[in-house]
Amino acid sequence: MKHLHDITLPAERGLYLPTMCKIVEAKELTKLEKWYRVELPGGQDLGHTPGQFVEVSVLGVGEAPISVSSSPTRQGSFELCIRKVGMLTSVLRTLDTGDTIGIRGPFGHGFNVNEFRGKDVLIVGGGIGIVPLRSLIHYILDRRAEFGRLIILYGTKSPAELLYREELAEWTARDDVEFHVTVDHGNADWTGNVGVITTLIPALQLDLPNTIAAVTGPPVMYKFVLMALKSKRLPDEQVFVSLERRMKCGVGKCGHCQINGKYCCQDGPVFRYTDIKPLEEAL
Amino acid sequence: MECYHLAQKAVPDLLEHLKKIAPVYAPHQKGEKSYSFERVTHASEVVLDYNRTMLSLKKFFLPPTERLLQYSIQKQNVVEEEIKPEKRIFFGVHSYDMQAVLRLDHNMIEGHPEPNYILRRQDAIFIGISFEPDDYHFSRSVGIRVEEMEGFDLFLNKVDTNYYLFILNKEGSDLLKGFQKLKAVKDIVRFERNFKNKLKYHYNRIPEVFQHVYHSEVWQKVAERCVGCGTCNLMCPTCYCFDVMDDVALDVKSGERRRQWDGCMLTPFAEVAGGENFRDKYEQRTRHRVYRKFKYITDQEGVPWCVGCGRCTAFCPAGISLTDIVNNLIQDYENQQYAKTGVVA
Repeated sequence: MKHLHDITLPAERGLYLPTMCKIVEAKELTKLEKWYRVELPGGQDLGHTPGQFVEVSVLGVGEAPISVSSSPTRQGSFELCIRKVGMLTSVLRTLDTGDTIGIRGPFGHGFNVNEFRGKDVLIVGGGIGIVPLRSLIHYILDRRAEFGRLIILYGTKSPAELLYREELAEWTARDDVEFHVTVDHGNADWTGNVGVITTLIPALQLDLPNTIAAVTGPPVMYKFVLMALKSKRLPDEQVFVSLERRMKCGVGKCGHCQINGKYCCQDGPVFRYTDIKPLEEAL
Repeated sequence: MECYHLAQKAVPDLLEHLKKIAPVYAPHQKGEKSYSFERVTHASEVVLDYNRTMLSLKKFFLPPTERLLQYSIQKQNVVEEEIKPEKRIFFGVHSYDMQAVLRLDHNMIEGHPEPNYILRRQDAIFIGISFEPDDYHFSRSVGIRVEEMEGFDLFLNKVDTNYYLFILNKEGSDLLKGFQKLKAVKDIVRFERNFKNKLKYHYNRIPEVFQHVYHSEVWQKVAERCVGCGTCNLMCPTCYCFDVMDDVALDVKSGERRRQWDGCMLTPFAEVAGGENFRDKYEQRTRHRVYRKFKYITDQEGVPWCVGCGRCTAFCPAGISLTDIVNNLIQDYENQQYAKTGVVA
């Protein structure tokens, strides 16, 4: 047990104090998602790892955990992509270039890129699950030679919900990216895959001992993707997932994000699958 | 350890003496059966023969609601709430409540140290007192004797109508400088009080039980009676979860960010934007709360996070008893073991 005499007094302040940051670029990507590029004062680096999150504040409205969607390899600013889903995110939708938001963080554990280095990387993103994964994708693309194959599977409900369309086209065009996209329901213009994301998995040819998977999507997706990866015989310890919880404070105090005995905001949001497999509440 | 004899009638004098050193907080009677730690103005109002206060000392270090930030929406600038450390004397604290403070200390220091809690807590002085266990106390079952003195600066053990006053450290000794009404004692009388309310197992065996009862029917049975009010969370001296919210001034030019106690027994506790609720059933929430007290942190720290104060049971509007829950889980565990091995666990 930790005691008061274990720490130096006075305790450092600022745990809940956001840093006010400028939105330097913003764009609506879909009817629900909006993309932002944000600068910390003086252009300092956020200092995050792919998969970490920040607490985004709008003064007078509130604060919520949001994944960082840019890679630390691209410095000077960072990016967020936010779905309008609650009160705070509805207000965020109205903000634009030149507006101010508060930022705390980065918090939690992201993807351990050192473990990915030298390996083939399989990315599985469902819906806005692609947002935190994009940070990892950019990281790998910026240091392409340090990684093996980069396989990206991306699925949304319909073509209208696809994010980062220009980048998707770029990933499709690149020889060193194996990009597969699918939608649950197509439309008249859609000529690509139709079906849930798991339908992309059986055809994959994987070098099993040398492959690491990063999976992020809505809660319902994990069970099926993990089953599909299991039938490919990819060992569970080579699979990482990023989980969504109500990470209200971001610093392991407020209690909302507990998954059995773990704090999602401290131990996660990125977990090795084998670490959360015994937790009944995780998936 | 120094020990002195303190006559019961000298207790008000001790309180008056302490009040000159720092503000003193002690139990006061609020209703017919309810007590509360309040600042002492008249020593005569302090009630030392109390069973339990409704709220524990956590209300002083982690207030039910507090301002974290103040900001100007117009100027987009934000400042933290100033908190000044304050020397306060908490008089007449039971051992389980002291143990609860030590557990909260751990939760607040671990990982990111919590400045607001630490600033309010760091200069606190604790003077303990013994108590007679009632039908709800079961702290002995979680390893906390009535006379456990860890964490205290001074401790008063009541024997018959008088007190034995134990000086436990320099801070405690300093408090008594200039107080004349003490008589040194050579032979210290110690005795242990009995508890009527008990857990069936020694606390060392409980994490083992909890490894086998995650899917027990006990949770469903408790859930059928639970009204989901969260009283047990608020009363629990080791519950510390909070929610954070913004309040805007009527002119919409400025505002503040506050936090207030929240409880994992409340329905929206684990709900995220978009409506997914990761513990949407009563039994999941009950199980989570009880596992937090007996398994999750206990596995890491080796002691139960329940201190056996009995508040959650004494104040539950649905009459749910925590000791019954744990004892029923133990029974369930024993039945499972018997079915598996033919041997009574």
